[in-house]
Amino acid sequence: MTMVRKPTSPITIGVRIALAVVYLVPLLWIVLTSFKDGADVIGSSTALFFRPTLDAYRNALSPELFTALGQSTVIATTATAIVLLIAIPAAYALARVRGIVPTIGLSVLIVLQMVPQTATVIPLFQVFGSLRILDSNTAVILADVALMTPFAIILLRPFFRSVPPALEEAASVDGASSFRTFRSIVLPVVRNGIATTATLVFLIIWGEFLYAVNFFLTPGNYPLSALLAQQVSSYGINWPGLMALGVITSVPILVLFLFTYRLLKEGLTVGAVK
Amino acid sequence: MTYLTIRVPNWPSSALRRRGRRAAKSRWIYLVPATVFLGALAIFPLVQLARLSVSDVQVQNLNSDWPFVGVRNFIDGFSSGVLSQSLANTLVFVTIVTVVGLVGGIAAAVALRGTAKITGVLLAAMVFIWALPPVVNGSVWKFLLADDGLVNNVVNLAGLQSFPFLYDERYALISVAVVNAWAVIPFNTLVFRAAVLNVPVEQFEAAQLDGATPAQEFGNVILPALRPTTIVLAVLTIVYAFRSFDFVYVMTKGGPGTATQTLPYLSYQQAFVGYDFSAGAATAVVAVLFVLILAGVYARSVLKEESE
Repeated sequence: MTMVRKPTSPITIGVRIALAVVYLVPLLWIVLTSFKDGADVIGSSTALFFRPTLDAYRNALSPELFTALGQSTVIATTATAIVLLIAIPAAYALARVRGIVPTIGLSVLIVLQMVPQTATVIPLFQVFGSLRILDSNTAVILADVALMTPFAIILLRPFFRSVPPALEEAASVDGASSFRTFRSIVLPVVRNGIATTATLVFLIIWGEFLYAVNFFLTPGNYPLSALLAQQVSSYGINWPGLMALGVITSVPILVLFLFTYRLLKEGLTVGAVK
Repeated sequence: MTYLTIRVPNWPSSALRRRGRRAAKSRWIYLVPATVFLGALAIFPLVQLARLSVSDVQVQNLNSDWPFVGVRNFIDGFSSGVLSQSLANTLVFVTIVTVVGLVGGIAAAVALRGTAKITGVLLAAMVFIWALPPVVNGSVWKFLLADDGLVNNVVNLAGLQSFPFLYDERYALISVAVVNAWAVIPFNTLVFRAAVLNVPVEQFEAAQLDGATPAQEFGNVILPALRPTTIVLAVLTIVYAFRSFDFVYVMTKGGPGTATQTLPYLSYQQAFVGYDFSAGAATAVVAVLFVLILAGVYARSVLKEESE
């Protein structure tokens, strides 16, 4: 893309500096603080220059943390897989059928996507209680799937709509069954959409803590996000420990981000506005 | 929610019609898992929520009989001032997040529209922050805005007293709202930036031939091109702010006093801290009613765009 005007205006430079300060400093600060000891956290003299220590990480790397890491992985992976299994066929159907049903279906999905999570955590607590599945991964996973499925269908549908119907007609003329056409013709075309959706669903579930904090009755089974939420709201916060936990929680996100950034950059702008 | 009425479009020939009908019919099966699952774990819970809101349910009778009390929970909420206070907090909160989120998004999109390496790095860092768990971002800002945190260190260096960002009833709500806007700006930037990049280069060339200043170029070329995107993003940002819970939970727990109690946080607190599930449900129902209005606006714009 060629910009005609070469010299960058002072306002543009100002906005860029502001963005750098506001977005890079917090990132830097999490990492720096996680390498400080308790005494260096307070005061401006040790803000940038201090003797780095791994104490916060050493203290954080407890059996409790590994349990939480395992819990996060199990919950986010399982829930994302189930969301995709349910949302992919639904998005395909809603992209292809016509008439009143997709209109109603989409409207219902938009409402469900917008309902505050606190409006679902109250009745789900009762529903799971009566099913006797509170304090289990099942409860959290089911709640996460219900939370993310509407979002996934809405995000996936435009990708399916952009697949030309002629492609499927050709396959069905050749005698392929409807399911085979879907699996071997349509799905490969929308794989970018599926990857984008999977990434976003995983990211959001990885960070979800409201269901985890309330459906697990004891902190022993908390995933990372819930552990972090519990520690940040306690009195007398140990900041280096908390930031170390934040870094540990964020590293898997960073890895995923490095692999999917390009995809996200394009996929988000397609899904958000369409 | 049932998908029983099937309207088959009119196909030109009878053979095609039969095949089309068969294909269309088989596609209904694809909706079954989503319908069953969401019916059971998304729609049914909302029905239960509505029932809770008109009953008297505390922790001891959550799994037994729910005595019907009509709209008493709502009347209690409004007459005690708890609901009206949190409704007012929510409106302030949503307004700040939306205005700062949209203005910041447009400013960042315009500043980062070029191809210079620095813009790529900044954009990537912003999207990464957007992808981080809200509990991580909230923790960092709680730390940065603390009395002896980095922001107040800078304030002190300038010779001023520490500013009570999160500990003063007057400022806490604004602080949390601005942090929330900070968290949504990267997403808005990405979407606005795509729209800016879609403006034909000729329009910029024409504006510059006419001797337009950068400000005029922004006002006469970029802003009009961003209008449709702005409307959609405004609705999405309003909804995001309206649902927001994580940052309040992490940064202030609704306090000091009730200063940052927004509707979602209040309903959570009533149900899971005060164990008054009916009061929490009534507050949540008020929130859902607002969502229904917003969803209606959004659904109309989405469906209209598709039919064009």
